[in-house]
Amino acid sequence: MHIIVCIKQIIDPEVPFHLFRIDPVAKRQIQGTHPLVISTYDEVAVEVALQLKEKVGGRVTALTLGKKEALQALHQTLAMGADDAILLSDLNFEEMDSFGKARVLAAAVRKIGEFDLILCGRQAGDVELGLVGPFLAGELGIPCVPLVANFEVANGTIRMRRPVETGYEILEAPFPLLATITNDTSNVPRYASVKGLRAAMRAPIPCWSSADLGLSADALGPKPLRIEIDELFIPHREMRCELIEGESGAEKARNLAARLKALGLIG
Amino acid sequence: MVHILTFCTASQPEIPRHPLELLAAARALSAQLGEGTVHTLCVGPASGAYGEELIHRGADRVLTVECPSVEAEIALAVVESAVRHLAPQVVLLPHDDLSGAYVGPCLAYRLETGIATDCGGFAVQGEDIRWLRPVYGGKAMAYMRIRGPVQLATMRSRAFDPLPADPTRRGEIQSFPADWESVRPQIRVVERLEEKEEGELPLDRAEIIVSGGRGIGSAEGFAVLRELARVLGAAIGGSRPAVDLGWVPHSHLVGQTGKIVAPNLYIAVGISGAAQHIAGAGSSKTIVAINKDSDAPIFKLAHIGVVEEWEKVIPALIEACREWRS
Ligand SMILES: Cc1cc2nc3c(=O)[nH]c(=O)nc-3n(C[C@H](O)[C@H](O)[C@H](O)COP(=O)(O)OP(=O)(O)OC[C@H]3O[C@@H](n4cnc5c(N)ncnc54)[C@H](O)[C@@H]3O)c2cc1C
Ligand SMILES: Nc1ncnc2c1ncn2[C@@H]1O[C@H](COP(=O)(O)O)[C@@H](O)[C@H]1O
Repeated sequence: MHIIVCIKQIIDPEVPFHLFRIDPVAKRQIQGTHPLVISTYDEVAVEVALQLKEKVGGRVTALTLGKKEALQALHQTLAMGADDAILLSDLNFEEMDSFGKARVLAAAVRKIGEFDLILCGRQAGDVELGLVGPFLAGELGIPCVPLVANFEVANGTIRMRRPVETGYEILEAPFPLLATITNDTSNVPRYASVKGLRAAMRAPIPCWSSADLGLSADALGPKPLRIEIDELFIPHREMRCELIEGESGAEKARNLAARLKALGLIG
Repeated sequence: MVHILTFCTASQPEIPRHPLELLAAARALSAQLGEGTVHTLCVGPASGAYGEELIHRGADRVLTVECPSVEAEIALAVVESAVRHLAPQVVLLPHDDLSGAYVGPCLAYRLETGIATDCGGFAVQGEDIRWLRPVYGGKAMAYMRIRGPVQLATMRSRAFDPLPADPTRRGEIQSFPADWESVRPQIRVVERLEEKEEGELPLDRAEIIVSGGRGIGSAEGFAVLRELARVLGAAIGGSRPAVDLGWVPHSHLVGQTGKIVAPNLYIAVGISGAAQHIAGAGSSKTIVAINKDSDAPIFKLAHIGVVEEWEKVIPALIEACREWRS
């Protein structure tokens, strides 16, 4: 089984409100001193890939489209247990929408050659469009199975487990396929060990350009882009929290209960 | 004149709220862009029963497709054929698991058109629509511009209030001849595992939600929260860590990638108030935060706050509420 996981490197999405800054002209977040991390659901997708590999054997390849600093994210996936990693980097790749990104990733998948499964996050942790996965499936002409949390192997068949309102759905679809990955209790990402990281830092990671992929600038989609941020802003929030006081936790609880009752919210 | 198509799945006898919100959005758009027809494509076994109500809530024309179940690939094929047939300028889909993660994106790919996912609103400038959506987990907002043969958007729930039912509104109800029978789905549901949650109210309809986060610390801690929920007649919710740690089922996740809720009272306990969580709870009428850290961002969003360890507050709160009951 050859599993390709598409990961995106983003600025730590857990940066709190008061440290969050944007560049309204470039229409993106300013990194400042915040770390770059693997996008939340992509890290979950790496975990899902590694668990499946542990069940059925095979190989996991991590693929990212980004700048040179995205090598760090690839090293982390290698340290988690991925077998190979590939960086797709080119100046031509910087002004693209989800259609262009899917096209580049598809070209890379074709260059990699055979594969059984592609995993993407359900949505990237920054702009969160949730489009690259389904578009990539479209480019490759393979089924897109949305919102999968894990793979189960029984009697030689691989099935997918998807959390739904009433519990879980177990799905089957013909391989090769692409699944977008969501989180649940079964796929909390493992840590990369320090030892693993040290070894991974030495692993060579190929970097493919648009020429390596045989993509001309025109092939990356029409300009103006079909999907574009026109304006980015931080909404204004006013502080209005009324704090409930008290000598002890129990007194605060009683005061809270009384306040909620007075407001007609409980009771 | 701008024609708009909205999408509604009809698998339960009662019409859910989200498609009615889409109709309110469609009417608002239509009022600004120049009145055209608002079509609603209604797909599923109950589609016949929804027709009247959809018209009373803003549709001009309801197109029903009575297929026995609304599987992803069938929904996609039916919506695609309706869009090609009716050639609307705008298509509004609900941003739910079916349309937000599958039908919308796949349709955009097939039609080679831009799409704005998870929209909370829009602004009309001349003939252009700018789609408003949260980005960076809700810490910022973006107006998106999309280009292509149709304006395609998935709308998050609770972004619009349904229009009041107007029984005097008239419209057409027709069956739409979509060839769903020849679709051979590649994705098959082979099993459904029910996750029984004895006595747990569904989040959607609860007036009060008690929600816990990583700060609750354990499944035993969540049992105490459930007790509070029982006393208040509330539903139980959780943040992503609470779900990942197995303290609450996935279907009770509140947030951007979980449920968007808007109860009268939302009590957030041991939840820091990350933007991605608030994205799901921010429209609650009153938010109460109980957190031991006075600097937790949740206090910037809550209406009422208690700075304290929950262990010291919740049992006494249960006690106080019980006393009133008896
Ligand atoms: C793309 C993306 C999508 C996401 N979607 C969601 C989503 O839908 N829903 C969601 O919830 N999250 C989501 N997240 C995760 C989100 O960013 C936060 O990580 C998460 O909401 C934090 O959960 P928490 O508040 O429970 O935990 P923490 O941030 O760890 O906060 C725990 C809080 O508990 C307090 N605490 C600790 N002990 C006690 C005590 N004894 N008494 C009282 N208080 C105590 C602490 O002070 C702290 O404030 C998403 C993230 C990304 C990147
Ligand atoms: N630059 C990228 N490189 C690799 N994979 C990506 C990239 N951008 C998006 N993806 C994949 O597509 C998913 C959805 O991204 P998005 O459509 O941007 O929300 C992500 O979770 C990744 O799996």
